[in-house]
Amino acid sequence: MATKLLQWLGALFIVLLVATAIGGLLVLKDRVRVVVQSDAPTSGPDPTALLRDDVQVLASRMGELQAALSQNFDRLQAAIEERTAARHADVIALRQEVGTARQLLDRLTQDLVALRGQVRGLQPQAAPQQQPAPANPRVESAAEAAVPVEVAPSPPAHAEPAPAVPQAKPAPGFLSFSLPAVQFRCDELQDYALLPGLCRVGFDAKSTLHDFTGVTEKVAGRFAADFDDPEGAWSGEVTVDAGSLVTGVEGRDTDMWEHLATKEHPQIRFAIQRFRPAPGGIDVQKQTARGDIDGKMTIRGQTRSLTMPVQLEVDPQKRVVVSGQVPLKLSDYGVPVPSQLGIINMQDEVVVWIALRARMQPKGHK
Amino acid sequence: MRSRLAICGLLALVAPSGCIASNVVATGDRLVTTPVVALHFEPAPGLPLQGLYESVEIRGDAALSLRKVYYLFDTGGTYTAAALTEVDGVPSFQTLNGTWKSTAAGLELDGRPPVLLEQAPQHLRITAENGVLVLRAANLQ
Repeated sequence: MATKLLQWLGALFIVLLVATAIGGLLVLKDRVRVVVQSDAPTSGPDPTALLRDDVQVLASRMGELQAALSQNFDRLQAAIEERTAARHADVIALRQEVGTARQLLDRLTQDLVALRGQVRGLQPQAAPQQQPAPANPRVESAAEAAVPVEVAPSPPAHAEPAPAVPQAKPAPGFLSFSLPAVQFRCDELQDYALLPGLCRVGFDAKSTLHDFTGVTEKVAGRFAADFDDPEGAWSGEVTVDAGSLVTGVEGRDTDMWEHLATKEHPQIRFAIQRFRPAPGGIDVQKQTARGDIDGKMTIRGQTRSLTMPVQLEVDPQKRVVVSGQVPLKLSDYGVPVPSQLGIINMQDEVVVWIALRARMQPKGHK
Repeated sequence: MRSRLAICGLLALVAPSGCIASNVVATGDRLVTTPVVALHFEPAPGLPLQGLYESVEIRGDAALSLRKVYYLFDTGGTYTAAALTEVDGVPSFQTLNGTWKSTAAGLELDGRPPVLLEQAPQHLRITAENGVLVLRAANLQ
C-alpha cells in the first residue's frame, strides 16, 4: 500500500519536474542567447583592413582606367571633329561645284535657246520656196515679235556649205506652246512669293459661349528657302492685313479690330529667321519638309519670338504649300482679352494658323 | 426664392449659347480651294469644240512657266490660242494658230498625237505629257 503510494508520489514528482522544465523553457526562451566564441587568439590579419586595402587598390586602378579612357575619348573626339570638319569642307566644295555646274548648264541652255532662234531665223532664208507644213501651228512669241532676232549674214553663193548645225533638241512644249526648260528644285535656295487670293491666315479662339475662327486672305510676303539646307538659313516675311480679319459676327469683328488697334497697327507680321527641320522631316524626292520655323511675330506693334511648327509640300500646280499652327497668348502682345460684362469671356490663348501657297520666283527677281 | 432667381438668370445667360453655332474652321478646310476640285470629269471622245475657253488650272511641269491659256475653237477645225508664260520673271504672251480634231483617241492639235480630252459642265480637261490643263467656257464680250 505504502509502495503504491510512493510510486504514485514518484510519478507525480517526475511529472511535476517535467512540467516545471517546460514552463521554465517557455518563460525564458526569448531571453536565452547562445554565443559560440572561440578561445583561440586571433592570429591572421584584420579582414576589415584587408577589405579596405582591396577597395583602395580597386579605386586606384579605376582612377588609372578613367585617366586612360579619358585620354582615348579626347583623341576620339578630336578625330571625329577633324573628320567632321573635313566632311563639311567636302560638302561645301561639292555644293560649289554643283552650283558651278548648274550655272554652266543654265548658260548652255541659254546658248541653245539663242542658237535655236538663229536657226529659226536662218530657215526662211535658206529655203524661201519651201512651203510650211500645214499641220504645224504658227507659233509667235510676243517677245520674239517685238525684238528682231539678230541673224548671221547668209554665206555667199560660192562659199562652201556651212557645217551642218546639230539638230537642237526641241524645247519642252505643251499643247503646241513652246515652253522653257524650267525645273523645280526645292533642294537649293529658291525665292518664293506668296500668291494673293490663295493664302489664308487665321486664329481659333475659345469663349464662354462658343468657339470661333478669325480669318483673312489678305496675306502677302515672300521667303527664301532651301528644303535641304541643314543650317536652315531661311529668311523672309509674311504680312497680314489685321483690319481684314473677320469672324463672321459683325459686332465681334469691330471689337476685335479695336483690340488689335488696327488703325495704329494695320499689319501683323511674322519675320522668318530660321528653319529647323524635324528628324527625318526632309524628303527631297517627295518635295516635302517638316520642322519648326523660328521667327519674330509682331502683333499690335509688339514683337515676340515665336516658333511655329510647319509642313511644306509641293502641290500639282507646282506651288509650295505651307501650313502650320501655334498657340499664343494675346496678353503677350498687349492685346486686351475681350470680355462682355465679365460674364462672357474669351480665353487668352488662341491658336494662330497659316495655310499659304507660294510660287517659285526666278533668282534675283523682286 | 433668391436662389431660384439666380438659377433662372444663369439659364438665361447660358441658353443663347445653344443658338450661336461654333464657326471654327476645320484644319482640313484652312487652305483656299478652287471650284475645279469639285468637278467630275468624264472622257469626251469626239467632242465637238466651239467657242472660247480660258484656263482655270494648270498642273504638272507646264505649271512652272505657264500662267494662263486661252483657246478659241472654231467648228471648222481650226483654233487660235494664247498662252501667258513667265520665264525668269518676265511674262510674255505666245499666240498660236492651228488645227484641231476630236477623235475617239482624244484631241489632236496640229496633227500631233492625240491627248486625253475630258469634259465636265462648262469645263474641259486636257491631259498632255507634261501637264494638265483645265479650261472653262467663256464668253466673247
